[in-house]
Amino acid sequence: MSTINFAAREINCKIVYYGPGVAGKTVNLKYVFSKVPEKLRGEMVSLETEDERTLFFDFMPLELGSVQGFKTRFHLYTVPGQVFYNASRKLILRGVDGIVFVADSAPERLRANAESMRNLRENLAEHGVDMATLPIVLQINKRDIPGALPVEVIRSVIDPQKRLPVIEAEAINGKGVFESLKLASKLVLDRLSKTG
Amino acid sequence: MIEPTLALYGDAYERVDRHLEELLQNTGVRYCLLVDRKGFVLSHKEAIWAPRPPALDSVATLVASNAAATSALANMLGEKAFSEQIHQGENGTLYVEAVGEDSLLTLIFDSTVPLGRVKVQTKKAVAEVAAILDELKDAPPVEFDEDFSKGASALLDDLLG
Repeated sequence: MSTINFAAREINCKIVYYGPGVAGKTVNLKYVFSKVPEKLRGEMVSLETEDERTLFFDFMPLELGSVQGFKTRFHLYTVPGQVFYNASRKLILRGVDGIVFVADSAPERLRANAESMRNLRENLAEHGVDMATLPIVLQINKRDIPGALPVEVIRSVIDPQKRLPVIEAEAINGKGVFESLKLASKLVLDRLSKTG
Repeated sequence: MIEPTLALYGDAYERVDRHLEELLQNTGVRYCLLVDRKGFVLSHKEAIWAPRPPALDSVATLVASNAAATSALANMLGEKAFSEQIHQGENGTLYVEAVGEDSLLTLIFDSTVPLGRVKVQTKKAVAEVAAILDELKDAPPVEFDEDFSKGASALLDDLLG
């Protein structure tokens, strides 16, 4: 759960971008980084391999401003998507408050989407987090590629019960990037103020 | 209803702050941070004479991730956790010591400062800070009302359109 720091009157929330390899998680973060005014964001930390694939995580702090006297901040992370990096992927999920699941529209990545979602469920369970209570936004990315599968087909594989909000995106040109982040952040903050 | 993992309330926070300040004075380190295991800075102090520190958000995130990775290693080796990490470079040292279950005390200092002394002082501070954090476990939960949600929403609209 969010870390609340009363002396500094800060609320810190953690949002993680999850999804299969090369679905566009880092691209999402880089777009946010490039478009948000400098005074509202910190440095971006990327631990990547030589060919720019995420090895451990990307990280970027984002200042929202003050709500009721509390300085509210988001820490945005991406995980490495490659199947064999699960040990480090699991570490990044520690204390997560909200998730943006970035799915790939390419037909040959349909199965990878499903596997990544299953892997997310398993990793959250290990942290003792119930997927049903965690804010999760489904971003269907790469809508612009030739042969992109229909959204409903992708959704039927990763969210058959249609529980998650869906946003279509072309992260490479920024389409849907802010919408996804905004929705995930909103769900996290709404959850903060839910009583009972 | 939210249950923060660590909520540093006014009085307790000040006491933690005092311990960090004392540690800074007694050891001659440059920077001293208390970060939680999720990578958030809970409190930080810097020596007056020290140059401007690197981005503390980045430091906290990397220290927490590093601790997470090494504790996964510890588990693989049949240990519950490694309680301390020491990284020594040519010009200085990064020293991290676990405080209770949820946070990490991080000290950054240059090679003129003897590691032995830092360790002795840090162990003392860790015990004191851990006791304070332990008290906070029973702190009443925080409540935010609907206005909080509305205010936050408006800010999100401003930021992300």
